[in-house]
Amino acid sequence: MAVNRANEDYLLPCGRDVEQVWQRLDEIEAGRADAHELDCPYCRATRESLTVLRDLARELVAETEGPSLDLTGRIMAAVRAEVRRHDLLPLPTPEPGGVRVSARTVAAVLRFAADGVHGVRARHCRVSTTDTDDLAMTVEMSVAVSYRGFALHALDDVRARVAAAAEAQIGVRLKRLDLILDDLYDA
Amino acid sequence: MISIDLHDTTTNGPRTEAVLSEAVIAAIAVRGALGVPGVVRTEPGLSGLMYSLLRVARQRSKGLEPAPTEGVRVIVEQDSAGVPAVQVEIAVCVSGQRKASAVGQAVQVAVARALTEAAGLTSASVSVSILDIEFVGADR
Repeated sequence: MAVNRANEDYLLPCGRDVEQVWQRLDEIEAGRADAHELDCPYCRATRESLTVLRDLARELVAETEGPSLDLTGRIMAAVRAEVRRHDLLPLPTPEPGGVRVSARTVAAVLRFAADGVHGVRARHCRVSTTDTDDLAMTVEMSVAVSYRGFALHALDDVRARVAAAAEAQIGVRLKRLDLILDDLYDA
Repeated sequence: MISIDLHDTTTNGPRTEAVLSEAVIAAIAVRGALGVPGVVRTEPGLSGLMYSLLRVARQRSKGLEPAPTEGVRVIVEQDSAGVPAVQVEIAVCVSGQRKASAVGQAVQVAVARALTEAAGLTSASVSVSILDIEFVGADR
């Protein structure tokens, strides 16, 4: 699993998805932009950056002999990385300079852990550091549960798995986990 | 740029100084990081990818395949005694088979060692940002 399972996480402040801006570049240049795309400063700035990269990639591909690069994939990976740089949480290390991890990445790992419990599907997950300890995390996770197969002890399993994932896969202590049951699904 | 004095006082040869560009330091850092078990790749941002594509185009026009530098930012400073020190910021994707904090710390150590061994540099600090965790395939 690439832990960017939820590509909907790459939202601009206006609510539009970065990949949607990428896919709309040609349409907008053809004069078929919608009202939001014409007015939104976030979409415009993102569009300008992606246009430069797309044009540069086209020039490079045209000049390159032999197999072409997966430039589209690299551009979108760079876009996702750019978004993730803005919400970093500290990890323990004695070395100077520090180690940090993307909060979105941690959230995806913890959602994956919760999904392993029968009858539970993780939805939104928000991760933050605590007020008193940068190396302990507070997590708020919403889940959907199966109304046929769900049992209340499953929430204890979710709590255990999420705490174990935080410690074993990330390297931080889970200080608080708030679980919100916000939906039922038929299974 | 960072200057390294190569002068050998045991010989009568000319005084020699080498100047390393940030790209060279970045390439050394990337090589050090990619050698750490659990590091899948470095993660460039938009500006880093743009610079990398320009660099690739420039070097390929000369028949060269450039060493990777993506995902690294190099800051060269001087301390109060005028001794240059390097600060390296590196963004990576790590494997989910290992603890992220441990891999991050290992990257700090490996990059600092690579800079010292390859260029004699004393790294002031190595900052690691883990931007993604992958679980697919076997641990690298």
